[in-house]
Amino acid sequence: MKDSDVIVLEEPKLSRADQFYLPQVLIGLGTTMRHMFNVVVRGQDRVVQYPEEKREDLPVEKGGMLLKTYRGVHRLNKDEEGRVKCVACFMCSTACPARCIHIEAAESPWPDREKYPAKFDIDELRCIYCGMCEEACPVDAIELSHVYDIVGLTRQEMIFDKAKLLNVFDETVKHEPM
Amino acid sequence: MISRVIEWWTVNIPPWVLIALIAHGVVMLTVAYLILLERKVASWVQDRLGPNRVGLGFGIIPIIKNWKMNGLGQPLADGLKFIVKEDYRPAGVDKILFTVAPGLMILVIVVSIAVLPWGGIRQTQRVVTVPAHTQFVTEAVQNQLAQGDQIVGNPVRIGHTDQYQVTYEYPFQIASLNIGVLFILAVLSLSVYGVVIGGWASNNKYSFLGGLRATANMISYEIPLGLAVLCIVVMYGTLDLNLLVEKQCHDWVRFIPAWNVFTQPLAFIMFLICIHAEANRAPFDVAEAEQELVGGYHTEYSAMRFALFFLGEYAGMITTSAVCVALFFGGWDFPGLRGPVGHPALSTSLIICILRAVVFYIKTLIIIFVFMWVRWTLPRFRFDQIMMLAWRALIPVSLALLMMTTVIVYVYHGNSYELLGGSMALTLLIANAVVAALVLIVSTMIPPAPATNRRLTVLGSRFNKTPLPAASPSLSN
Repeated sequence: MKDSDVIVLEEPKLSRADQFYLPQVLIGLGTTMRHMFNVVVRGQDRVVQYPEEKREDLPVEKGGMLLKTYRGVHRLNKDEEGRVKCVACFMCSTACPARCIHIEAAESPWPDREKYPAKFDIDELRCIYCGMCEEACPVDAIELSHVYDIVGLTRQEMIFDKAKLLNVFDETVKHEPM
Repeated sequence: MISRVIEWWTVNIPPWVLIALIAHGVVMLTVAYLILLERKVASWVQDRLGPNRVGLGFGIIPIIKNWKMNGLGQPLADGLKFIVKEDYRPAGVDKILFTVAPGLMILVIVVSIAVLPWGGIRQTQRVVTVPAHTQFVTEAVQNQLAQGDQIVGNPVRIGHTDQYQVTYEYPFQIASLNIGVLFILAVLSLSVYGVVIGGWASNNKYSFLGGLRATANMISYEIPLGLAVLCIVVMYGTLDLNLLVEKQCHDWVRFIPAWNVFTQPLAFIMFLICIHAEANRAPFDVAEAEQELVGGYHTEYSAMRFALFFLGEYAGMITTSAVCVALFFGGWDFPGLRGPVGHPALSTSLIICILRAVVFYIKTLIIIFVFMWVRWTLPRFRFDQIMMLAWRALIPVSLALLMMTTVIVYVYHGNSYELLGGSMALTLLIANAVVAALVLIVSTMIPPAPATNRRLTVLGSRFNKTPLPAASPSLSN
């Protein structure tokens, strides 16, 4: 960077009115009063009343959000026969940057694959919802659903096991097909 | 039964007891709701809605339990939270002063409510029994009346009985002191002790700094505050708040109420600035500057003790706003509520007196709204800016204004204090404008203040161009 690239900005010189301060205070009070008027009288607030109003129901220009691209809680997909699709290849837990996926593989009871997950736990509190597991999965077994309002009273509750993850699939498959 | 209770009450309990109970109850409840209003105003300024979930049913009381009522239950829920929270006292604090400080804060405010002129003077009648053959009837009757009641005219004997019909009047306020303004100024300046003691007793450097700043604030702004009040007091020659209000209860040219805000706008602005500083509120809230001092003087406080500090701050706002209304906005003055010409504070009707109190209260609330409006508009002043505003701006201006006012009062009134005529009011208004113009002109001639926040050339600092001496004894060890 040359010296000629540097732009020197002078502080704007205060006018008499600025130095007297009161006129500027009144202008500021006018600005805040305008905002108050807009909210109270004209109802132009920028609030989303959460449980009643949800961002996914609002248009994007009014602060809405697109659920299509939202990465929420995980689900374990099932195939047509209702079996878990996962083949326990450990790709997702290897790809996971937060190390929140814990899989225990076992001999598969079905003839079409060698392994299946006997245990499949995801610590939703550790998860950073990056979607790397979804990218890594070779059989499209793990996916991030659009559900974002998950709650739990204990940390233990937030560790989702296989049954719970399959349950998420059952609940979300209608709105979000695989 | 009820009428007998009322009769017993009027005979045995002086009216100020009831007024005190109601006034304090109203003020304390108002404080709770002011916190809600503060949060609402903050939200509105920032395009939000504010608390709007907790209704008065709290989700428990049937029928109304699901009504949200725009968050009307929020202050009560907050209060409950303060009571239930752990009252934590850190090790190493001064145990006695730590407890005394919030109490002191609230005590001062409670005392200062006493002299607010809620509703002028009420005249009423009562039948009093005086023993036969009493020589000094008026004195005997006076002994039976409550303290503060003043007999009007002579008691009239009813037929040939021992009973006398007495007309008396009492001020519709808790205590009618003839030094009302002085009393409020004196008591309110005590409230800084709550802050300072709280800050010192906490044994915490942030609290201590908050206390120090509050003291400097208070000392600086007491002076222009007093001078601005003095501008009003010299116009009327009285310190009695009730009398000050009464003298504003007439009109100029039939429709402009004779409120002091129209005669002394400059004094009003200075008074408003000073009570902002006095109440330690933004933009003068350096004593509890969150960004610098954690919580300021109440950093170490929690639960009910903290709530008392909070209560004191808001109740102080109510009192100062009420004084502002009494001094500059004609107190309870409102069309239709004035008494007879010549003595407008007088009223025979209790309802009129109560309506006056309501008007006074609403005017106070409007000033409090201005407090909040300012708080959410202006950023906090730097500490040296605060001091500069007081000592280099407000004190000289208020002195000049006071001088102008005294000259005008002397020219128009001489030694008597009649009602303010229209021409005198106009002269005062022009004087205010002249002082404001003078300030503008003179301020161009004053040499600029020395730069504050300048870089100090500390030896060996990165701003110091000169290299460090080779062997400096002060830095070698």
